[in-house]
Amino acid sequence: MTTYTICVFTENTIGILNKITTIFTRRRINIESLTVSETERKGISRFTIVIRHESREAVEKLVRQIRKIIEVLAVFGYLNDDIAYNEIAMFKISTPIGAKPLDIETINKTYKAWVVYWHLTYVIIQKTGTEEEIFEFFNYIKPHEILEFVRSGRVAVSKSPQTLVDYLPEAEWEYYM
Amino acid sequence: MEFNENQTQKTGIAERPVSVAAPELINGSHALIQSLIIEGVKTIFGYPGGAIMPVYDAIYDYQEQINHILVRHEQGAAHAAEGFARITGEVGICLATSGPGATNLVTGIADAIIDSTPMVCIVGQVGSHLLGTDAFQETDIMGVTIPITKWNYQITNPDEIPEIIAKAFYIAKSGRPGPVLIDITKDAQLKLMSKPFDYKKCEKLLSYRPRLSPKEEQVEAAAKLINESKRPFLFFGHGVQIAHAEKELLQFIEKTDVPAASTLLGLSSVSVDHPNYVGWLGMHGNYGTNVLTNQCDLIIAIGMRFDDRVTGDLSRYAKQAKVIHIEIDPAEIDKIKKADAPVVGDAKRALEMLLPLVKENNHEAWRAEFKKFDAIEDEKITQPELAPTTEKIKMAEVIRTLSNKTKGEAVVVADVGQHQMMTARYYQFKKANSFITSGGLGTMGYALPAAFGAKVGAPEREVVAIIGDGCFQMTIQELGTIAQSGLPVKIIILNNNFLGMVRQWQQLFHAKRYSFVELQNPDFITIAKGFGIDGHTCGAREDLNDSLDKMLASDKPYLLEVMVEKEENVFPMVPTGACVADIRLE
Repeated sequence: MTTYTICVFTENTIGILNKITTIFTRRRINIESLTVSETERKGISRFTIVIRHESREAVEKLVRQIRKIIEVLAVFGYLNDDIAYNEIAMFKISTPIGAKPLDIETINKTYKAWVVYWHLTYVIIQKTGTEEEIFEFFNYIKPHEILEFVRSGRVAVSKSPQTLVDYLPEAEWEYYM
Repeated sequence: MEFNENQTQKTGIAERPVSVAAPELINGSHALIQSLIIEGVKTIFGYPGGAIMPVYDAIYDYQEQINHILVRHEQGAAHAAEGFARITGEVGICLATSGPGATNLVTGIADAIIDSTPMVCIVGQVGSHLLGTDAFQETDIMGVTIPITKWNYQITNPDEIPEIIAKAFYIAKSGRPGPVLIDITKDAQLKLMSKPFDYKKCEKLLSYRPRLSPKEEQVEAAAKLINESKRPFLFFGHGVQIAHAEKELLQFIEKTDVPAASTLLGLSSVSVDHPNYVGWLGMHGNYGTNVLTNQCDLIIAIGMRFDDRVTGDLSRYAKQAKVIHIEIDPAEIDKIKKADAPVVGDAKRALEMLLPLVKENNHEAWRAEFKKFDAIEDEKITQPELAPTTEKIKMAEVIRTLSNKTKGEAVVVADVGQHQMMTARYYQFKKANSFITSGGLGTMGYALPAAFGAKVGAPEREVVAIIGDGCFQMTIQELGTIAQSGLPVKIIILNNNFLGMVRQWQQLFHAKRYSFVELQNPDFITIAKGFGIDGHTCGAREDLNDSLDKMLASDKPYLLEVMVEKEENVFPMVPTGACVADIRLE
């Protein structure tokens, strides 16, 4: 199984998520993570979709099918080496009186994680990194009671020096500026 | 973009003096109909209902410009629009209400997407304030149709109508054509636009830019392969007809002297009389075309998509051959069969560019190899089918007699099953754009409404529907539509009292365990007469000629029921999962 990151640029209108996911569902491809936000250009959304698949060919076909959606401007499939990528995770850790204190220095310096909220009985720690780094920290913090854990989808930017505009030379970008 | 000023004056809300200088505001329904008129729509197949009533109220004012045809079931509207679109090359239009009206279109929409048929379906929707409340006749038709439309959109504001309709038409007919569904809430139909109606045809979209002219380097690479090939084999599909590339295809075939075979939906694009035409491909295609697919050194595929009914077992399909794939939809390249030389573009443009680059050639010896297989097929299958010794009439005789009587120039609309394959095998197509059938989806019940739609689109042509007794009962109510229109659609039922193709498979692959395939049929002629359509039954071979003559001579719709051999099989056959070279003759 290889991890692929698929970046889809679309017009920001209602229902696009549905149009994209149905292409995965029909081919029985599970989505590992999904992140959507507006890009640097108004009205254009960027979907970052992570999947695992054994066949590169199948992923290429998937990408071409996504490109067929009318509202889709561009689709790129990447291997991990092609992109800079990260995720963000939040941990709610129980800190009742008398419990083993958290080693904030290790959390900060070794794991590059930060406490973002304090409460009398718990703290919320935010950790940014790759999936592996987040799970490394997860294992470190596990002996303290984890009340809640949440991990975002991957965000990724291609290492290629090209911008989206380079891929769509004919596009009338002024419209979206 | 001709636009008749008078149309804007008809508001349907309140008639005001025509002399009013300020532009009048019209409601969404009028904006919709005026948009359709500007797009050149003259025919709508539809069925009214609650959520689309404002549009129907508007149509009432435009009956001189638009011919609305009332079908008997929305599925009939969708297939009629498909038949219309296939024969005219224009966008077929259907109109239905929300909920069940819209869901009844679904089969037709699914059929249109897989057979690349341009269609705009306009459906009503509950008022926007009721969306998501399980209101009466509310269905999330947007969600339902995402996987089966080329594009869909929900309009909730009348101001969007001109732009969205323009987009719908552009998307439906450009590139690889397909169905578009527009869902319009009832309030958007009723409300006045906030600005004067102004329509601009859509000519391009930022996010959708189908490539018409292929890249030169792709064409050059293809030409090189063609010029080097010793045993090239050309496959043409529906894309040739969609691109109107029949003339260019002929020029190409004649210059290169390649043998050319059709897919099911490509039939009629090259006349059966042409010396380079070698037959058709696939499960029930010809013997030579299938066997020699695995002996050619180059496949030149034009506007076809290597359907599994064409390829059989892909792992043993044309492994020895290089492949040139000329196709407008980039997602089709490498989808099934890896292309050594993909050419992404319109078939007509691609052939125009290819033509000067290919050498004149002579492949007579290679083409002669097909004739050897033809002789075997002729002796083992075709002749016994056409001159049978059985008491009962065979489907093949009916089709071939019809073919002779119509000089191979009728528009033939086949339903789905044995009779469809027999039509493809035994009708000798001599005129382009003459075969309409549900190829990809295999929709039983397609032919009756599609034949009607084709007749509406091409009233000057003889249109004959070939339908099985099973298929006929799936959309039988459209006899009412045909009767009401009075259009002389000719209908042939090949009645074997069986779901013949399923029965054939049960015979061959399920040890003759005939599980629910025998039909107790009604008296079709009485039913037709009940609808006001004349007809008769032909049960004996000696009556077949006269029966067909009588049907063809009628200037009204006519139903001919032919009682055929109960348990006949379609051969040759490449069973599912078999290799094309292992095609069975019996």
